[in-house]
Amino acid sequence: MTEEHDSDRDRRASDIPLDLDRERETFVKSFFRQGVEFTERLLGENTVLREQMGELSRHNARLRAQVASDDAIRDLLKTIEKLEREKEHLLDRSNALERTHRLEEGRSEELEHELNDLANLYIASYQLHTSLSPRRVIRQLKDMLCQLVGARAVVFYAVNTGQEVVPIGTEGIEADGLEKLVVGEGPVGEACLTGLLYMRDDVQPGTPSSPVAVVPMMVEGRPVGAISIVSMLPQKRGWVSVDRELFKLLGAHAGTALIAANVYARIHDPIEALDGIIENLLRRTPSQFSPPGEE
Amino acid sequence: MAEYSCLVVEDSPMMRQLLVFALARIKKLTVTEAEDGVDGLRKLSGNRFDLIITDINMPIMDGLKLVKRIRSDEAHKNVPIIIITTEGSSEDRARAMALGANAYITKPIQAPQVIAQVKELLRIE
Repeated sequence: MTEEHDSDRDRRASDIPLDLDRERETFVKSFFRQGVEFTERLLGENTVLREQMGELSRHNARLRAQVASDDAIRDLLKTIEKLEREKEHLLDRSNALERTHRLEEGRSEELEHELNDLANLYIASYQLHTSLSPRRVIRQLKDMLCQLVGARAVVFYAVNTGQEVVPIGTEGIEADGLEKLVVGEGPVGEACLTGLLYMRDDVQPGTPSSPVAVVPMMVEGRPVGAISIVSMLPQKRGWVSVDRELFKLLGAHAGTALIAANVYARIHDPIEALDGIIENLLRRTPSQFSPPGEE
Repeated sequence: MAEYSCLVVEDSPMMRQLLVFALARIKKLTVTEAEDGVDGLRKLSGNRFDLIITDINMPIMDGLKLVKRIRSDEAHKNVPIIIITTEGSSEDRARAMALGANAYITKPIQAPQVIAQVKELLRIE
């Protein structure tokens, strides 16, 4: 069967005309040439496509990077916003702390001054009662007014039984030119009548008849004399809070200290001065036990 | 334990008490009191002080004479001195500073001012 087939083929080839053979060869050559051209074109296109693909890959990579970068930027922006909020919060807190600190500082300064004022008052009160000599009591009062208030010229007055206001001591001013005053007349006389503290608004130097301040010395609610401050030290520019308090303290205690010293001056012995104290303590006084008006 | 010592020379007991009160608020500072310039010199003799506070108007020896004596004394010539006085004129201040005082405070004093001055001279925070 196979042999028969082979001989049939050989016979046919020999049977093909020559021009047909040439034609076939031409066709084959043309076919191959076109194949080559087609292949070359395909290869060219393939190269172009490869390049385009590479370009697209790179573009894609760039886009991916861009997206990643945008995400990073978004994250960064979020972080920045968060940090901004934290910064604002911290700034608010810092400002609040600053305000508190300033308040504390102010309060601390205030406390320092209050402590200073209290120390002045304590020392004045303490020193006022350290002596039972009228002269020393007056000296203590002068010292107190000069050292603690800044008084330069001071006159001490006492009310006598004839309702006159008599100068009993001076500091920084000649006593010779001073006269007796009348209760109720002038700032000193008025203070000895009303028992009210007189303080001018300014601390400009005054005169004995027009002093800077007058402190009535009170004993059991009654004026027994007055301290007249005629002028202040030049560096004293104005009143400070403790001045008024000190005047009140002097008003309440100076008279008592002077009376005690004056009474004691006739005795000279502390033990003798206490003589009869038990009887005096036991003595029933109307004001101690009964309401006013019932005695 | 005291680190600093201060001598207060003042004839007014009230003023001394006031200064002692004020200075007690500075930690580690001990205060010695003297009644006048001579008493001050006695207290200075044989003792070391980091600071001296003195009044000007005092009996026996005034504050300016005391400052002069201190500045001529080898042992104390560099000790800071604060003058506390009623004399508020610029001439008085200049005279005190020329004699060697380091600071000048006029009466009536305010304790915070004295404390601040002492701390500054002793370099205390």
